Amino acid sequence: MENLIANFNFVIVVILMMIGLWSMLAQKNLIKKCIGMAIFQTGIILFFISIGAKDNALIPILTEAANHTYPDPVVAKVGNPLTQILMLTAIVVGVATLGVGLALAQKIYQQHSSFDEDEILENERK
Amino acid sequence: MSTLPIWQFDVLLLILVVLFAVVALSIRNLMGAAVVFGAYSFMMCLIWAGMGAVDVAFTEAAVGAGVSTVFVVSTLYNTGATVQRRTGGLAFKLFIGVVVTLAGAFLLSALPDFPDWGDAESPANAAVAPYYITHTIADTHVPNVVTSVLADYRGFDTLLETTVVFIACIAIYSIMRVDKAKLETDEPAIVAVPRYDPGDSLIVRQASRFMVPFMQLFALYVIAHGHYSPGGGFQGGVILGASLILLAISFDLKSLLRQWSEKTLMLLVAAGVFLYAAVGLACMFMGGDYLDYGFLDSVLPGERDMARSHGILLVEIGVGITVMFSMIAIHINLASNGRFDRGL
Amino acid sequence: MTEQLPIIIILGPLLGATLAAFAAWFRPRLSQPLVVLGLVISSAAALKLVFIVADAGAQKYWLGGWGPKQGHGVVGIQITVDYLNTLLLAAVSGIALLTSVYTRRLVDTELAGRQRYFYALFSLLVTGLLGITITGDIFNLYVFMEIAALSSYALIAYGRGRAYMAAFNYLIMGTMGACLYLLGVGFIFAKSGTLNIDDVSAIIPELGQSKALFVGFVLILLGAWAKMAFFPFHGWLPNAYAHAPTASAAILAPLATKVAIYAMLRVMVTVYSIDYIIHSPGIQSLALYLSSLAIVIASFFSLTQTNLKKLASYFVLSEIGYMVGGAWLANKPGLTGAMVHVVADAAMTSALFMAIGCIVYRLGQAQLDDLKGVFFKMPVTMAAFVVTMAALIGVPPTCGFFSKWYLIQGAAQAGVWHFVAALLLSSLVKAIILFRIIEIGYNRVPHPAIEGNPAIPRNEAPLSMLIPTAAMALGLIALGLGTSTLVNTIIAKALPAALAP
Repeated sequence: MENLIANFNFVIVVILMMIGLWSMLAQKNLIKKCIGMAIFQTGIILFFISIGAKDNALIPILTEAANHTYPDPVVAKVGNPLTQILMLTAIVVGVATLGVGLALAQKIYQQHSSFDEDEILENERK
Repeated sequence: MSTLPIWQFDVLLLILVVLFAVVALSIRNLMGAAVVFGAYSFMMCLIWAGMGAVDVAFTEAAVGAGVSTVFVVSTLYNTGATVQRRTGGLAFKLFIGVVVTLAGAFLLSALPDFPDWGDAESPANAAVAPYYITHTIADTHVPNVVTSVLADYRGFDTLLETTVVFIACIAIYSIMRVDKAKLETDEPAIVAVPRYDPGDSLIVRQASRFMVPFMQLFALYVIAHGHYSPGGGFQGGVILGASLILLAISFDLKSLLRQWSEKTLMLLVAAGVFLYAAVGLACMFMGGDYLDYGFLDSVLPGERDMARSHGILLVEIGVGITVMFSMIAIHINLASNGRFDRGL
Repeated sequence: MTEQLPIIIILGPLLGATLAAFAAWFRPRLSQPLVVLGLVISSAAALKLVFIVADAGAQKYWLGGWGPKQGHGVVGIQITVDYLNTLLLAAVSGIALLTSVYTRRLVDTELAGRQRYFYALFSLLVTGLLGITITGDIFNLYVFMEIAALSSYALIAYGRGRAYMAAFNYLIMGTMGACLYLLGVGFIFAKSGTLNIDDVSAIIPELGQSKALFVGFVLILLGAWAKMAFFPFHGWLPNAYAHAPTASAAILAPLATKVAIYAMLRVMVTVYSIDYIIHSPGIQSLALYLSSLAIVIASFFSLTQTNLKKLASYFVLSEIGYMVGGAWLANKPGLTGAMVHVVADAAMTSALFMAIGCIVYRLGQAQLDDLKGVFFKMPVTMAAFVVTMAALIGVPPTCGFFSKWYLIQGAAQAGVWHFVAALLLSSLVKAIILFRIIEIGYNRVPHPAIEGNPAIPRNEAPLSMLIPTAAMALGLIALGLGTSTLVNTIIAKALPAALAP
């Protein structure tokens, strides 16, 4: 049962990432491209978090109330903090990129009155 | 914990997440796509909380489900574009679909090589991470291992992350800001007058008036208490920023700008990064390496070995300042199309 | 003091940018001098480190004092200055310094009224590029990559008009590249548990034929290729660099793609080791074919261009083909050629865009056919331009000749004849284009020195632009003459000892 869940997790991660990637490359609407980008990035974050998950472990905050954590923590019972830090950074980078993408999309709309890539290219050729 | 049907929840959430992603990308109404995207972020946040990554879930709830959705909605509001055009180009989409499927298959081929899920002895869990868990109290006196790694062991990454937020803020400012003097001559305005004036709603105004002080108090608690509970500079900063964005949305963008002028906002954005970098420089002046807070113990109050804990608090405050004002400035730019007068 | 030099290289532009962001609201004219000051400090530190590394070997620095711990490896973030990156650090900071002085006039004309944050973004871009080069941690590289990327999107978008769509396309491709890179890092982390480059390179040989490591390598490679605009991910580059304001193109074109190539080299040589590369022959031949294709297609397109900036962008694309091909030849001359060419090409592209910027500043446009008489109007600029084109073609004693020589030697040794043919073809195309420009700029007007012909007034570029351009062009020759010294003292030591000669 555990094995199936584990593999299922990874398969979902790959499916999510590919959905996001497809949207970034194939969709013509600029807003959909931005949303696809965000989905691709959150898929990668889910992948990293899955790597750092530990069975029956507590959150990585050492407290006296929780067993096996304070002051001599049992490492197997405390969640992996390293992957979580990396993903905090990744989330913030993701929202920064999304913000810049949306600003550019807004400026493009202002010029061409459309979010659709085909219409924009036609407009630029004129 | 072991008696709850956790795996059923996990499977349900994972399926929902894929469903929401597909819906968000295929729905033609762009406002609807933004809302479903917010729901998608929230489901992700629940999955991560279920896996024990509470700080990450906290950040995603604030940043992903909260602020990102507001950014997309502001962009759409400003442009008035709500429906996606039905386009052709099926051949190209199929081609990309094939490429992406092959890429997915390539990624899945590595699956058998991975360590078992949840294995506490896997390389990722057993190489460097145990050092942080076993030494955080001795080195930094900070029980929240995520905070101590974020701000001390890997503090350089966090300085750079704060710089990324700073860059996004000034980049969006540079891209969007339109000078009032050139307003009529240069670029045409897009959506003129909103059909619904938010200033008319008594309920929204009074409710936000009531909520904002509590939000800000909670955000300050999150920053200050990040050593002992889930939280820290980023989460607190985003909540502070969100409280002011709420004011801007429920009242008027102009009333927010009366309290926080454009110049103040942009200066404070840079001030947070400067504070973080300056703390590191101070460590160098005291004889240590960059960002080695242990050398600050002669200038910081408290006992000698609390120096790292106080150093972490100082940089978290710097992070909070930059993130708070960046979120506000980005929202104002996106919502008012750079004109800084009227917006969502 | 000298052990703090590595971090000073990064702190110079970072603090310069923050102070420039403050100054932008009080005394805007102060932004540029602050950034120049930061870059002076950074270049001085980088230059000193070149000599230190040549004497004493690799210099390692652990941020926060968190170095290697017993049984765990390095627990903090490490930055390393070793034989592979010390020359590039000096080159990037030096070129950025010259460009920051050079762009003042262009910013005042092209970006009038909007230049509040230009120099802050400029300095942040340089911080990101220097950081990618100096870091010894694979996740830290991702964050620095995004710093450089976000700054470059904003710098390109300053061009308005078509620049917005170009910047958006660059954003999508760049984010795709960065995310693929991050995913690759995830695969490596899942198998090794550490993010430090030295520790990972020690663990990978022990893991043998691991599928996850292979997939991770391919993902990192694809990410780097998207960032460096390697064929077939090159679509975004010509538009982005042509529609960006010349001031932005002058800093982006020479440095952004070279640093991405360095990142690929670092992963190939240090993290995975050349043995691994040689035992994956499938990718090697694919990469070599793609390199030759990149060179040939870019050369072909450059023949049809009428805009100087677009022409220069296609040159950049073909040069990228040289470096990737040289790296994937995986023998001593090939890798030496690639490493020399990274530094040489940064200098050549910088000189090229500086010369084009001078022309744009004075003539107001950059169309090829409107360059009549430019050799008389701007003699010094065009002299620098001719020297740069000679370097790109590969004429001795410029640096372009020596790097091309190593690459051809390496390709002949490995028997990859299509690469040799592509290299020679691109030189031929560049020569054709140079002669075309000489013909338009020199021959199509009556020569003013001959009696009875109208005089053509000299309209040279201002000194603040002319001196960096001339210095860069002279630097190409100096670099060429100094190549053998550099190769023997530094580059040869960066290559693994067990490499095929």
